[in-house]
Amino acid sequence: MIRDKISVSIQTLRWKCIESRAYSKRLHYGRFALSPLRKGRADTIGIAMRRALLGEVEGTCITRVKLENIKHEYSAIIGIEESVHDILMNLKEIVLRSDSYGIREASIYIVGPRNVTAQDIILPPSVKIIDTTQHIARLTKSITSDIRLQIEKNRGYIIHSSNNYQDGIFPIDAVFMPVRDANYSIHSYGSGNEIQEVLFLEIWTNGGLTPREALYEASRNLIDLFIPFLHGEEQNIDGMNNKKGSNMLPFPLSHVLTDTGETKEKIAFKHIFIDQLELPPKTYNSLRRANIHTLLDLLNYSREDLMKIEHLEKESVEQVLEVLRKRFAIDPPRN
Amino acid sequence: MRLDENEGAFTIPEFGKIQFEGFCRFIDQGLMEELHNFPKIEDTDKEIEFSLFGNEYELAEPFIKERDAVYQSLTYYSELYVPARSIRRNSRKIQKQTVFLGNIPLMNSHGTFVVNGIYRIVVNQILISPGIYYRSELDHNRINYIYTGTLISDWGRRSKLEIDVGERIWARVSRKRKISIPVLLSAMGLNLEEILDNTHYPKRFLFLLKKKERWEREEYLWSREKAILEFYKKLYCVSGDLVFSESLCKELQEKFFRQRCELGKIGRRNLNQKLNLDIPENEIFSLPQDVLAAVDYLIGVKFGMGTLDDIDHLRNRRIRSVADLLQNQFRLTLGHLEDTVRRTIHGATKRRSTPQNLVTSTLFKNTFQDFFGSHPLSQFLDQTNPLTEIAHGRKLSHLGPGGLTGRTASFRTRDIHPSYYGRICPIDTSEGMNAGLVSSLSIHAKIGDCGSLQSPFYKISERSREEHMVYLLPGEDEDEYYRIATGNSLALNQGIQEEQITPARYRQEFIVIAWEQIHFRSIFPFQYFSVGVSLIPFLEHNDANRALMGSNMQRQAVPLFRPEKCIAGTGLEGQAALDSGSVAIATQEGRIEYIDAVNITSSINGDTVRTESVIYQRSNTNTCTHQKPQVRQGECVKKGQILADGATTVGGELSLGKNVLVAYMPWEGYNFEDAILISERLVYEDIYTSFHIVRYRIEICMTSQGPERITREIPHLDAHSLRHLDENGLVMLGSWIETGDVLVGKLTPQTTEESLCTPEGRLLQTIFGIEVSTARESCLRAPIGGKGRVIDVRWINRVDDSGDNAETVHVYISQKRKIQVGDKVAGRHGNKGIISIILPRQDMPYLQNGIPVDMVLNPLGVPSRMNVGQIFECLPGLAGNLMNKHYRITPFDEKYEREASRKLVFPELYKASEQTANPWVFEPDHPGKHRLIDGRTGAVFEQPVTIGKAYMSKLSHQVDEKIHARSSGPYARVTQQPLRGKSKRGGQRIGEMEVWALEGFGVAYILQEMLTLKSDHIRTRNEVLGAIITGGPIPKPDTAPESFRLLIRELRSLALELNHAIISEKDFQIDREEV
Repeated sequence: MIRDKISVSIQTLRWKCIESRAYSKRLHYGRFALSPLRKGRADTIGIAMRRALLGEVEGTCITRVKLENIKHEYSAIIGIEESVHDILMNLKEIVLRSDSYGIREASIYIVGPRNVTAQDIILPPSVKIIDTTQHIARLTKSITSDIRLQIEKNRGYIIHSSNNYQDGIFPIDAVFMPVRDANYSIHSYGSGNEIQEVLFLEIWTNGGLTPREALYEASRNLIDLFIPFLHGEEQNIDGMNNKKGSNMLPFPLSHVLTDTGETKEKIAFKHIFIDQLELPPKTYNSLRRANIHTLLDLLNYSREDLMKIEHLEKESVEQVLEVLRKRFAIDPPRN
Repeated sequence: MRLDENEGAFTIPEFGKIQFEGFCRFIDQGLMEELHNFPKIEDTDKEIEFSLFGNEYELAEPFIKERDAVYQSLTYYSELYVPARSIRRNSRKIQKQTVFLGNIPLMNSHGTFVVNGIYRIVVNQILISPGIYYRSELDHNRINYIYTGTLISDWGRRSKLEIDVGERIWARVSRKRKISIPVLLSAMGLNLEEILDNTHYPKRFLFLLKKKERWEREEYLWSREKAILEFYKKLYCVSGDLVFSESLCKELQEKFFRQRCELGKIGRRNLNQKLNLDIPENEIFSLPQDVLAAVDYLIGVKFGMGTLDDIDHLRNRRIRSVADLLQNQFRLTLGHLEDTVRRTIHGATKRRSTPQNLVTSTLFKNTFQDFFGSHPLSQFLDQTNPLTEIAHGRKLSHLGPGGLTGRTASFRTRDIHPSYYGRICPIDTSEGMNAGLVSSLSIHAKIGDCGSLQSPFYKISERSREEHMVYLLPGEDEDEYYRIATGNSLALNQGIQEEQITPARYRQEFIVIAWEQIHFRSIFPFQYFSVGVSLIPFLEHNDANRALMGSNMQRQAVPLFRPEKCIAGTGLEGQAALDSGSVAIATQEGRIEYIDAVNITSSINGDTVRTESVIYQRSNTNTCTHQKPQVRQGECVKKGQILADGATTVGGELSLGKNVLVAYMPWEGYNFEDAILISERLVYEDIYTSFHIVRYRIEICMTSQGPERITREIPHLDAHSLRHLDENGLVMLGSWIETGDVLVGKLTPQTTEESLCTPEGRLLQTIFGIEVSTARESCLRAPIGGKGRVIDVRWINRVDDSGDNAETVHVYISQKRKIQVGDKVAGRHGNKGIISIILPRQDMPYLQNGIPVDMVLNPLGVPSRMNVGQIFECLPGLAGNLMNKHYRITPFDEKYEREASRKLVFPELYKASEQTANPWVFEPDHPGKHRLIDGRTGAVFEQPVTIGKAYMSKLSHQVDEKIHARSSGPYARVTQQPLRGKSKRGGQRIGEMEVWALEGFGVAYILQEMLTLKSDHIRTRNEVLGAIITGGPIPKPDTAPESFRLLIRELRSLALELNHAIISEKDFQIDREEV
């Protein structure tokens, strides 16, 4: 009996892509099988994978748009059939693919009259447009227009509740969900005690990722979530070789960080955002304006550099340094 | 019977027709009629004569466009010019001149008016037609039946004739006072001989007289003066001796006969008909003959001759439309004008004056301004969505002047009457106090002359079996005389000749008779219903109460960003959208030359037509109206083609909601009691996102200290809250406003004494001797929940009649609201609920193909509410979604076959499952139900679940507008308790039951706190603030709160003293205390 069970588990798990099809540029379909699995396991993996696919996969989207000479999105531009808001919504629909994190810039420069589609976007090298036929605007007069875009990679969706941006910048409530839908089914075979299962995973994506990539990314993200369990409680962070792992640590990190290697520290700092430092809003805002978002960014600045930042006064700088010293036992690098 | 023959096909009359037909009647006939009645006016010396040429009146084209009127807060009107003539007899000079009489607000193409920049609509009133109605009723002892005849005047005043138990006949003029008929008749000018000659029952009259004491008979029966005196005494309860005089007679004429007895044309016709009289139609007052004939009829009724009337019957009702209301106003104003001309003409004899000098134009302006501003039937147009607008114009109200009131109307008048069929919708009415009093016109009904309601039917010709359309009036000799089939011959059992029977309506009853005996048949299954109700698919499966809610809630649906057509509809969506005027339509055929978001230009043969589209405009109810072009540049369009879709139309069809995947299953109690749980997809894909444009306004007034000033420099406020102001002190276009931000910076001048009252002012004054600012800030700030984007700032400068310059600043803020917990959503079947939770899509139950459900409704909401239509709707919804089909389903298909709807729905599902190769869509074991899987665990739910695409809309009841909290605020004057309601910054009432709850928990201190220092204990509530700030102990209320003291005072005014006394145990000393 026991031997049987062992023999089952000895068999190596294999996955296979059974079907892969692109119905259109925006609808990719993939069907994968994982076998052999012991009874009940397929369910464990299936539901976890489905949830990870739907919730944990990252996507790229346009998050901010800068339009010149436009006061607000509820206005119309002479010579364009769409209102500004419609153009923003069309931009939201654009599916992008990007390998790099962080904010990227793109732009559209158009001369009418013509139809503007996603093809007209001038992209940074690491970003690609999936469906270039996506309609953006229809220009009916000979006007020129310059649109600047900000592209971000993220997961889930964002809703800008307040938008304190300067004139002409319009945030878009972006949806970074490349997986449109996911499903799994279980087929068992064998009989008696040797029931084995095959897990079929079906993935529909919007083209920002192929189903195969989505599967890869979802499983990687899922694994990342389990990694903390591989280490004992309160254990030294040394064993952790993944950047996501450090994200899970309780705050503050000072006692852990003191004896980590230089690179690890950097990775960890990258994931501590400055809003966690509990700085006064004024200081926080000026840091943000200077494009300082994470601790890592902050550490690139010396005390003198910080002084040079606009609207950041001397006391504030001291305050920032104080926080760094207290919480992380770090001194800013000197020039 | 009216035979409006319109051979062949019929169309549903335009929904807004009822309004502009009324207005056209006023412009075409009403104006002319009234102007024609304007008399020639002469001064006392007969030197000048003034007259109007009524039939040559002219209405000038309005000099501003309707949209500009809205924009500038003006009235959309037209100027009325009438030629007038003045003749001077002594100099034989005739002056003819076209005079400007005044402004008449014009109706726009949607049937609404624009008054002071606000859309208003005049609701049609339904009231009892003038005439006489006979009834039998119980007397005040509730034992005997007495017979009464109620005479109703044109103005709705009633007087009653009644025969009492003692066989005497009275005319009851008010609840308490009654006058004997012989007195009334002789006061009206008949003598005994005439009475006896003209009545059918002379003996009864003699009997009446015998009952009187002898002297009375002799005294006044023969003289009119005496009768009038007696009448006057009775009417006004004057005791003592009165002397007859002409003035008294005139007063009686004015007060009684004019007001109570004016019948009007309709009344005269009704009276002639009822009493079989032959009095000319222009005799609009009731004559003694009428009263005599009415008394005769009453006696006849007592003997069982004649018929009693059903006062709720539509035959006895009439519609008072815009035309009548405006005509009345116009008549009144002409009356005033007559008076003013009479006054001015007197002084004009010496001066040289033109006809224009004699008339004033302000009269009309004021009357119409007052009428549209304050008349209860001129209402603020509800513009939540286009359907609301149409439905508002088609309302019939029993309320208003001359009508009923919500408190006094009986159940009988609120009930549906058999004569409503095809004329007034039996379903569509408001809920609550006005139930049954505000109803809605059926889609096919039209208003005939004299304000009667007509409904069309197909007449089935005896010989040729051909059908043609006929409009029928309500009434016994009209539609009740005929047998009217409710269906058509298709529903008959074709095979068997003997079984060709059909249900029909005959004399207010439903009977089942042979098809051969049918005179008419109805023309459309939706004929009986209003616009809102006829947009509900599978209506026949719904309980009427829920259908009512469904039609009412469709009117509250908010226009959504990116609307969607319904998959299962009734086919009336197109007309509803078209008639609402929210779509832009090509006025002529042509080629589209140019198109952008603001306008569309088309041209044919060189002449161009420019259609301006509406972009993000505010409606009366803060929703957003918007048009999106639907044609391409270079395209050729036909006349009547849709150029641009409105905010709630798609392809010219009304679309008030979205098709979402619903499942009827419980989910962790989150849909208990009509709560609804939704998927996050509805949030991030902007499925239920709507725009709301709110207008904030501030007036700039003149104060005693000088004018108020709009400025950026406001010393009282910090720079942060002023950051959006431009150099003039107005908010900048496009700025993002948060709660508390200043929209308009305004300073109100103040005297130095006033400003010294503030502590800081005094401090500055004493220390530095600085002159403190002499102004108080009175800025316009964004209220709580008022965040959004400023899309427009308007400075409106208006000079009113007195020459004052009224300045107002309007700030328009647009908000984009996503759906959130607390919003109300509803389907079309009265299935409404509040969002209770928003789940991530991976947590929602999902179908076998992995698609998560969008909305989870409670199945227990269906059986007790009996709105099964929602289930029927969602199944073709699912099929249509898969096959990319839209269904337009006529209701009442069950009359053709049993279970017809089910037979319609299941094959569609089957087809869908075959076509799309999805076997799970139709499973024969449980058709229409599916195995769902829990998104959290992956476990299959125990039971198959009904799922489908339902058409749900977001209603205008949103948390953002309702959320409210109070920490401190105003108190009621008398009770000193906090006020009620959000608008008054009120609190939540701790009522009886809430007190019980607290008592039940035994939380004595909390209860005491609630009832005293948080409410009406004045001393402690003032002290508590200081105590909180200083951290001291919370004061303890030891006296009675204010409302208790109020109770004591009220008891005292009833002479009851309430005091409390403490008797000491030791020395029995009584210690009284004043409460």
